[in-house]
Amino acid sequence: MRIHTLIMMVCLVLSVFQVQAADPSVDPPPPPESLLSINPGSELWREVRQRDGVVEGISQVKSPGANVLVNVSGQSWREYRMQELVPIAGAAILIVLVIIAIFRLLRGRIMLENGRSGVKILRFTTSQRAAHWTTAILFVTLGLTGLILLLGRKFLIPLFGAEGFSNIAVAAKFLHDYLGPVFMLALTWLFVLFVRDNIPSPKLDLQWLLKGGGLFGKHASAGRYNAGEKLWFWLATIVGLAVIISGMVLDFPIFGQARATMEFYHWVHSVSAIILIVVSFGHIYMGTAALEATFEVMKTGYCDANWAKEHHDLWYEKVKDSNESAPQSQAQANTDTGQRESADSAY
Amino acid sequence: MATMKFYCDAERCIECNACVTACKNEHDIPWGVNRRRVVTIKDGEQGERSLSVACMHCSDAPCAAVCPVDCFYTTGDGIVLHDKDICIGCGYCFYACPFGAPQFPESSAFSSRGKMDKCTFCAGGPEDDHSSEEYKKYGRNRLSEGKLPLCAEMCSTKALLAGDADVLSDIYRKRIINRGASAFDWGVNFNNTKIQG
Repeated sequence: MRIHTLIMMVCLVLSVFQVQAADPSVDPPPPPESLLSINPGSELWREVRQRDGVVEGISQVKSPGANVLVNVSGQSWREYRMQELVPIAGAAILIVLVIIAIFRLLRGRIMLENGRSGVKILRFTTSQRAAHWTTAILFVTLGLTGLILLLGRKFLIPLFGAEGFSNIAVAAKFLHDYLGPVFMLALTWLFVLFVRDNIPSPKLDLQWLLKGGGLFGKHASAGRYNAGEKLWFWLATIVGLAVIISGMVLDFPIFGQARATMEFYHWVHSVSAIILIVVSFGHIYMGTAALEATFEVMKTGYCDANWAKEHHDLWYEKVKDSNESAPQSQAQANTDTGQRESADSAY
Repeated sequence: MATMKFYCDAERCIECNACVTACKNEHDIPWGVNRRRVVTIKDGEQGERSLSVACMHCSDAPCAAVCPVDCFYTTGDGIVLHDKDICIGCGYCFYACPFGAPQFPESSAFSSRGKMDKCTFCAGGPEDDHSSEEYKKYGRNRLSEGKLPLCAEMCSTKALLAGDADVLSDIYRKRIINRGASAFDWGVNFNNTKIQG
């Protein structure tokens, strides 16, 4: 009996000590093990949802990405395409067109100050013009078909209906897919033929840019190509390269590209293509309606001597005495093939 | 109107791939296209689980949002379907889809994509029910016969469930309770079920 009482008392005393041990400054005793167990279900769904990076599983289906349960990059790509790309591309195109329209209203058609001289100077060889127009036609086709695929749902389905637009989109996709690789060849050809005279000459180009390229008044001095043309050349080359590389990745989805890869290259492709398209509007306007006697230069290869004097004075000084400026009229220029061939070889 | 959903119970799926095979057979799906697939994560490790995935027929479907030709539509039963006559095979739905559901048969030169193919919840397409065009493009239309998707109907462990979302969640809730759910384990941990909620 006494022993039992003793044990009970010891227990009581110990329990008092235990209560004292539950002081907040001391770490509480660990909870039972079952409470500490991590819910394996939460781990499973965390992996399924790819919360900590991409978790790859295995699957009997062997297509690209088939072993990934949830593709998390899809949502951000969707948001990029629908909430950024479509509205920003549409707005950028509209803004550039408005700027060109305002410029037109302010400056009107810019005429040659001294009119035409009637003297023709060879500016572009046949192969240069062929390269330019091949690239230009491909560029316009690719740009238009690309914009149809990007903005058609918003603007063309209301006009043609979903089935009517589908036919247009099929044609657009076909042209875009097949002409893309051809554009790569054309742009390479263009680069080889035009790069020589597009090497920047920092001092002259900077002066030209500081004068605003003569857009707002006095002509700025320029060599064979002015700084604006050089900028367009290098933009078309560098951004064009980005468009081509990304386009080739998107065009041939047969090398097991993952979805994240395709989404990234779609981003590269769309951003660089929109940059090229809006800047090309400036180039196209400048080359056609903006300046008198400009379109005929790339059309026939020959420019008027006064045009050369006003727009490319330094180049004019260099070539005015050379025999390349021989033909006196456009008609002659078009028939005089021997002349042109010798000019070709001179370039 | 019902809202049709799939649910795959990770505690029951045994990665037998019968759903994949049944789907391919029922709809006569071409080589290289799999409307449904089974993915196993942590294969051979502790906590290995398999899930059968196909189109989940999202309420706010990313494929429909990004489609450049707007070929997707949602039926009254909440099933996301698409019109193959409108589809141009661009692949955007595949980039946007979280589940990798859209599939593309290789067609024409240079292996370009054909028209997209995906799970229809065995509900066919926009063509007339049971027409041969519908079968050719979209496979069997079981729903119009009053049958549920075959993958779920023939699942041997009843891991894959298909049907009205309310009914599915009732079934799943009952399973959770019967598994000895606890307040701490949420019914998916068989090792620690000492404390009952």
